[in-house]
Parts: sequence; structure tokens; C-alpha cells
Amino acid sequence: MSKDAPERVVDDPNVAMQDSPEFAQLRSKFRKFVFPLTALFLAWYFLYVLLSVFAKDFMGTRVIGNVTWGLILGLLQFVSTFTITMVYARWADRVFDPEAEALARKMGGQQ
Amino acid sequence: MSNAASIVAVVLVSIASLAVGAFGLRLSRTMSDFYVASRGVGPVLNASAISGEYLSAASFLGVAGLILARGVDMLWLPVGWTAGYLLLLVFVAAPLRRSGAYTLPDFAQLRLESVVARRASSLLVVAIGLLYLIPQFQGAGLTLRTLTGAPSWVGQLAVAVVVCLNVLPGGMRSVTLVQAFHYWLKLLALLTPLFFLLGALGGRSGDPDVGAVFVADWVEPLRGDHALYLTYSLVLATFFGTMGLPHVVVRFYTNRDGRAARRATLAVLVLLSGFYLLPVLYGVIGRYVASDLVAAGRADSVVLELPSRLFDGPVAEGLTALLAAGAFAAFLSTSTGLVVSVAGVVSQDLVRWGAGHRQGIRTFRLSTVAVVAVSLLLTIVSAGVPVAHAVELTFAVAASTFCPMLLLGIWWRGLTARGAIAGMVVGGGLSMGAVVSTTFGIATGGWFGVVMTQPAAVSVPLSFATMVLVSVATRASAPEHVARTMVRLHAPEHIDLNRGSFHPERWYRRASAPVSPVSPVSPVTHVNQSSAANGATTEGTDSGTQHTAYDSGDTTARRSQPTARRD
Repeated sequence: MSKDAPERVVDDPNVAMQDSPEFAQLRSKFRKFVFPLTALFLAWYFLYVLLSVFAKDFMGTRVIGNVTWGLILGLLQFVSTFTITMVYARWADRVFDPEAEALARKMGGQQ
Repeated sequence: MSNAASIVAVVLVSIASLAVGAFGLRLSRTMSDFYVASRGVGPVLNASAISGEYLSAASFLGVAGLILARGVDMLWLPVGWTAGYLLLLVFVAAPLRRSGAYTLPDFAQLRLESVVARRASSLLVVAIGLLYLIPQFQGAGLTLRTLTGAPSWVGQLAVAVVVCLNVLPGGMRSVTLVQAFHYWLKLLALLTPLFFLLGALGGRSGDPDVGAVFVADWVEPLRGDHALYLTYSLVLATFFGTMGLPHVVVRFYTNRDGRAARRATLAVLVLLSGFYLLPVLYGVIGRYVASDLVAAGRADSVVLELPSRLFDGPVAEGLTALLAAGAFAAFLSTSTGLVVSVAGVVSQDLVRWGAGHRQGIRTFRLSTVAVVAVSLLLTIVSAGVPVAHAVELTFAVAASTFCPMLLLGIWWRGLTARGAIAGMVVGGGLSMGAVVSTTFGIATGGWFGVVMTQPAAVSVPLSFATMVLVSVATRASAPEHVARTMVRLHAPEHIDLNRGSFHPERWYRRASAPVSPVSPVSPVTHVNQSSAANGATTEGTDSGTQHTAYDSGDTTARRSQPTARRD
């Protein structure tokens, strides 16, 4: 029934914005930062698993007492998760949000 | 083991939870609604509530049990749980907030413009919620059995009753404060005994060789058959499953805006990482003094049994009581959050008794009781799967269904309703098959058996591939307004698109930003037009999101949701 609803995609300012180069640039900026970051951090996690399987001698080497490299690297995973989130949050606060806001002001002015 | 202290502790925790819930309810009544109230409470309390809800029985008991039984490889579970939160933040949280969709079914309908996709998502929410509730109840039964020797169903029933009492009067609103309270309770309950245990252990082992002999088989990571596959699978499930858990996603809405959400996530990661070190240590200590529990099949109870292994008399009793209190808090907070989410979806999408506000509340209450009762029954039927493994499988189901739907739906405009449904059926079918075969102990050999133990590494890529292929094949039937929806998901927060008026961002904007005139053809106006064409009324609470069931009438009317649209 709602198919009868008026179709106004053409003069929709939202769609106009979707097509605007600034918005496209903003999105590509986000992708360029976030996708490599995610790839990096997934790679680091999977590296740990690979090391555990194929470099058992190294991971089983004791550093202090019963503490092995495996344990140390494992605990470092927590630290790296936090670091990555911190990096992302700072980037979003300092770089991305101001630009998004600038675009918002511009678009708000057009309406 | 004398156990009067533990029973008292468990009863006290239950009473305290109900009291805090009642207090939270009164607090939120003085504000205009729950979400404004949560806006007023600041990021630390908010993050505590998120962490409190997230740290379940599996975290409190299961992780230590797994470390005890399977060694340091199992660090993966807590690492994956924390990292899953990061993925949720970066890829899903902000677009989902902007969409105005409240629940996963809301999102499915909004993005895919299909009621069938919505129903399928609702069913999945219920399935995942029930699967995740089972280990909580199981943990509760286990705790009381360990402490008092009572049969398992006593503990399970106790948690069920307290959860009902907490949810029935206030719905979602009374829960936030309870969960924040539970986080700190859980942390203290694990931290305090740890000092005693480490002290006792340090005093006891004058010669370090004793420990070295004990842990020799354990310091080498990842042994056994198919270790690589199993671990990758577990990592995938936890990374990608977090974003598909119904009670986790909802919590992101209690943040004021994107910046506050990121702050809260940082705080959550600190709280979670800090917490997860503790059960790991319990597992390690268990290796020294309680390794016999593995053979007895009671690895999950290692946290509770440690004090009595190292101490006698009142000290052991006191510490055990504290741990019991923390464990009970863990069951209560996670199951409360789950029950609210699942009952919300059940009452909103799957059953319907009349329309209007009052019926909405009644339906929500009946659904709450029904959800609790069904999961209690399932728990009794499925006894025997280790708590943490049951949770791993739940994550696998979430990762193979909602995760691809969310990621593709948000980041790829080509996703169609049929593609999403096909992917959810394939991924969900495979991972649910694994759940069934594990739960009922249907043994399967060879590689298939291995896949059935940890399905995620197969089912997640398969689900993604199905969604992409079927979407490409059915691209003629792409959702009509997909361009508009994508703008809505990705346009910066501060553009006044009127994305749906029910999240707190609105008050924030009104207070601080210059209010620009609302776009005349914003998505929501469109939605309202079409729902009006349907003859649906926007005041019908039951067609709104789950949480409106407990809002006052005028709040509900203000919150006209995109979900009112039913094509």
C-alpha cells in the first residue's frame, strides 16, 4: 500500500548531498583511515595465532620464571586493542569531526 | 564446606539489585525519560553499565575454567571480546545511531525495506538471546550447587525470579543503574580474594620449582589437533559476533553523540581489559592448586573453589561468599539485559495482543515471563556444555548472521533483502547446526566434526559470500530508497536530517547547536507519510521500539519511529 507514497527521490536534498563531492571526499577519508587501521590490527591478531602454531619454540621460551613470550604477547593484545581505539578516537575528534561539522554547516546553509 | 555466608551473600546481592533497580526507576521518573536520564549520568557510569552488562557468567566463571582446562590459548576469548567492541565502535555504532533504528530488526527493515527481513531478524534475536541466556542460567545453577550442594535448578530458578522482578516493574529504565552497580561489584568480588590468594600462594611456595613442574605442559601455546583452525574460528566469532548481540548494540544509544560514544568505548575497554586479567589469574592459580577439577569435569567452578583450597575457616567462607556474590551479579546483569532485549522484540514483532499503550506494556510483561520460562526449560534440557563454550557458539551464530547483514548493509549499497535473508539462513543454519550438535552431544567425525565444534571460520565467510552473490543476482529488486538510507547512515551527525526523533542527540542539538530548519523531505517525514497511507497510527506504542513500551504517552508520541512503516 505504501507503494502509493509519493516518490521524491529526485529533488531530495539528502540525495543531492550524497552526490556532492565534499560528502564523497569525507566518506573516502573515513575509509582511508579506518580500513587500513582495521587490516593492521586484524593482521596483528592473526600473526599471534600463526606464531603460536608455527613458532612454538619461540612462544614457549621462558622470559622470566614461567612467563613465556606467548603469555607476554597475549597480554599485549589487550594493550594494542586499547591503543588502537585511542588512536581512532583522537583521529575522529581532531580530524574527522571538524570536517564533518564544516560540511554540516555548509549543507545547513543550503537548505 | 560451610556455606551460610555464601547464601547470605547471594540473597544480599539479589536484594541490593532490586533496591538499586527501584531507585533507578524513581530517578528516571523525575527526568523526562530514560535516555535523558542516561545522558545526565556521564561516561564513567555509562561505561560501567555497558561493562556490567557485557561481563557475563562466561567471563566470571568460564574464562578461568577454560584457562585451567585448556591453557593460555584461551586468552583469545577475553581478547576477542574486547576487540569485538572496537569493531562495533568503528564500523557499526555511528551509522546505526544515525539510522534511528533501535534494534537489529529495526535496522533490517529500515535498510532492506522488507518485512520478511525484519521478521527473520526478530527470530534470530530471539534465538541468539535464548542461546546466550542458557549459559547464564547454567552458571547460576552451577554456583549454587558448588556452594550448597543444592540441585542446579534451584540456582537457575533463583536467577529467573530475580530477573523477572527486576524487569517487570520498570522495563529498560531501571536497568542501567543496576548494571553499573554490578560491574563494580563483580570487579571487587574478584579483586579482593585475589590478593589473599596470591599472598597465600607466595607464602606457600618457597621453592619455585614446584610451580614450574606443574605448568610445564601449559606454557607452550596452542597444542592439539586443528589448533590453528579452532583458534582462528574462535577469534573470528568473538571479533565479529559482538556487534550482533542484541543487548550490546542497544547500549550505544545511551551515549549523547559520536564523541561521547568513543569516550565511553575507551572507558569500556579499560574496564573490560582490567577485569579480564583477573579470571586469567584465577585460572593460573587454579593450575597450581586445583588442577584436579579438570578431570572431575568441574573446571567452571574453579573461581569459586579456590579460596577453600588455600584457606580454612572464616577467611575461606568470607572470600567464597564474596565470589558467589560477584558471580550472581554476573548472571543477573547479563540475563536482565538479554531478557529486556528479547522480550522487547518478542512483544513488538512476534506476538501482538491488541494495540495501544496499555496492551503494549502487558504484552511486554507476558513476553518477559515467557522468555525467562523458555530459557529455563532449555537450560534444563541442555545441561552439560561448558559455560564458556556455549557462549562461544552464541557468538558464532551472531557473527554469521547479523555481522554480515550490518557490515554489508552499512558499507555496501548493493545489499538486497533477498541477499541478506539468504545469507542469514545459510550462516545461521550452519552455526545453529553446530549449536544443536554440541548441545545434544551428536558426535561427528573428521573435518566436519571440527567445523561443528567451532563453526565461525567457515560460516562467517560463507554468509558474507551468500549475501554478496544473491544480492548481485537479485539487484533488480534493490530497496527503493537505498540512496536516501545510505545518506542517512553516513551523513555527519550534526546535519539536521531529523533522522528519527527518539534518540538523545536531539536534545543535545537543540541545546547547543543552532537549529536549522528541518528538511521538508527528510526520511522520517517520508516514513510517516507512508505509514499514514497504511492506515497505521504513529501513536501505537507496540509498533515502536521495544523501549517505548515503558515510556509515558507523550514521549511515545514524540518518538515517531521509522519502524512504524510496514509495507
